Amino acid sequence: MFLAIKEMLHEKLRYSLIVVLIFLVSYLLIILTGLATGLANLNKAAINEWDASSIVLNSDSEGRLQQSFLSQDEVASLPNNGTRISQYSTLVKSENGLKENAQLVALDSKSFIFKKLKITSGSKNIRNNAGVVSDKFKSDGFKIGDYLLVANSSLRIKITGFTPRATLSALPVVYISPDTIQSLNKGVTNAVVFKNTLNNSKIPKGTNQLSIGSFINKLPGYSAQQLTFNFMIGFLYIIILIVISIFLYILTVQKLPNLGVLKAQGVSTQYLVLSTLFQSFIMSVIGVIIAIILGEITAITLPSEVPIVIDKSNIIVTGIGIIIMSLLGALIPIRQIAKVDPYKIIGG
Amino acid sequence: MSNLIFDSVTKIFGEGSSKYVALENINFEAESGQLILVVGPSGSGKTTFLTIAGGLQTPTNGDVKINDSTINSLSKKKQTKLRLEKIGFVLQSYNLVPFLTVEEQFKFVDKLKNQNLTEQKMHELLSDLGLLELLKKYPNQLSGGQKQRVAIARALYTDPDYILADEPTAALDTDRSMKVIELLRDLAHKRNKIIIVVTHDLRLKDMADKVYQIIDGKMTILEK
Ligand SMILES: Nc1ncnc2c1ncn2[C@@H]1O[C@H](COP(=O)(O)OP(=O)(O)OP(=O)(O)O)[C@@H](O)[C@H]1O
Ligand SMILES: [Mg+2]
Repeated sequence: MFLAIKEMLHEKLRYSLIVVLIFLVSYLLIILTGLATGLANLNKAAINEWDASSIVLNSDSEGRLQQSFLSQDEVASLPNNGTRISQYSTLVKSENGLKENAQLVALDSKSFIFKKLKITSGSKNIRNNAGVVSDKFKSDGFKIGDYLLVANSSLRIKITGFTPRATLSALPVVYISPDTIQSLNKGVTNAVVFKNTLNNSKIPKGTNQLSIGSFINKLPGYSAQQLTFNFMIGFLYIIILIVISIFLYILTVQKLPNLGVLKAQGVSTQYLVLSTLFQSFIMSVIGVIIAIILGEITAITLPSEVPIVIDKSNIIVTGIGIIIMSLLGALIPIRQIAKVDPYKIIGG
Repeated sequence: MSNLIFDSVTKIFGEGSSKYVALENINFEAESGQLILVVGPSGSGKTTFLTIAGGLQTPTNGDVKINDSTINSLSKKKQTKLRLEKIGFVLQSYNLVPFLTVEEQFKFVDKLKNQNLTEQKMHELLSDLGLLELLKKYPNQLSGGQKQRVAIARALYTDPDYILADEPTAALDTDRSMKVIELLRDLAHKRNKIIIVVTHDLRLKDMADKVYQIIDGKMTILEK
């Protein structure tokens, strides 16, 4: 790719400009995808940790945990290998004045969800008004042995352990026992979660089985938020495609006479096309790499309140996406190269 | 010995009422060691003739033969390869790649032909043409005459059987034009090439071994 490299080195300014553009858009893309992932995680991380495949809710609940109440009969007629979930959102305070909005989630300590729960420190104990809480509490200053005072209630929950990735609808989760939540919501069962999808015949009338995926999609605000992000991300891809197309188009138009003469001199169209693709590829790779490095630095330096997650899959998807866009952006210039007739150039 | 033959070549552009006969029943023959001039007024068909000779266009009728094999029936790919290996083009402008130094113009040819830089050959050529001190210069740092000399050197570098030049002196003054044509003539004689120069500049006539004239698409040989 002698010609391609020589040209880029000779026309540093032009080609750097394209690299800078690719870099800026890639950077924005990485940050946006990072935010989309981060916010999605805030909404659903706890549910992912459950590692379940279906959830049974009241038919009238529209898939919302808070609006779903199952009667004792309904719960009793469901298979008993499910985990009964009782939920209550509230403000909790520590004795030394720390505050946190939280999702209290009650479940049996023998349930498969509780058995799965990972602990980063402390112990996994929810007996006698003890609670295993999201490690968000830890980073906000709460300690093992602290008491959480539940607002508008005399309930005090003792922190026994911290569990990672436990957020639900953007609030940290406090796992407690069904006995503990009794005083707050009379121990109502909001939903039963199953490890395997149930046969429809086992779903009692008045209840509805949802896959965990569609349950997540119905979390308040979740779909709208992800849709907004996906829309912006999609648009950025289109923008980068157009920008690269226009730049390469202009560059190619400028050198058409030269390309025509090269063809007359026996340089194959294939060589010239590959040359352009190669340039496009190199520019996007450089732009993407700079964007990834800066994206990582940004993620590290941003305060931890900003829920940005730049993980491997984000980087790979964005990187490949941008590179594909820049190769697609080379299609119009390639058409021009293929079409240029040396005879027309010479005939003037 | 190589040769280039046009056997009753006709080139017609367009159809119906817009039909235009650019070349009419042309017979032409060139042999190694000759500088051949094709002269004619503007629009007479000179460039059309040259591009057909170089396989950039195909004739409507008749055959173009190089070393007794017909080139107009070759595939586009084969014609491109033929140009790379057997034909050198020298045009009025755009002959050189703007972002390559003089030396790199030759390296590029090596890359295309998958050969190593035959440094000695390049140096010989360049010193023959008085271009050695220009090796590191870019085309936009050269004068018009220097550019054309480099273009000729580049065309010769692949050691083609023949060189086709379309108005190579159009951008030059009379003195420099004479020098370039002289150079081409010497190359034809010394290196035993077929060199065909198309021009509307009749003052160059005396330098050639053979002069053809095209008028309205019809070619005649001019007696010297
Ligand atoms: N692609 C084409 N379609 C139609 N007519 C064409 C085409 N190419 C050339 N012609 C016509 O053929 C004739 C010969 O053109 P050509 O370019 O060979 O002239 P020329 O002798 O090189 O002229 P000049 O000295 O101005 O370069 C002209 O009348 C031109 O209009
Ligand atoms: Mg012409």
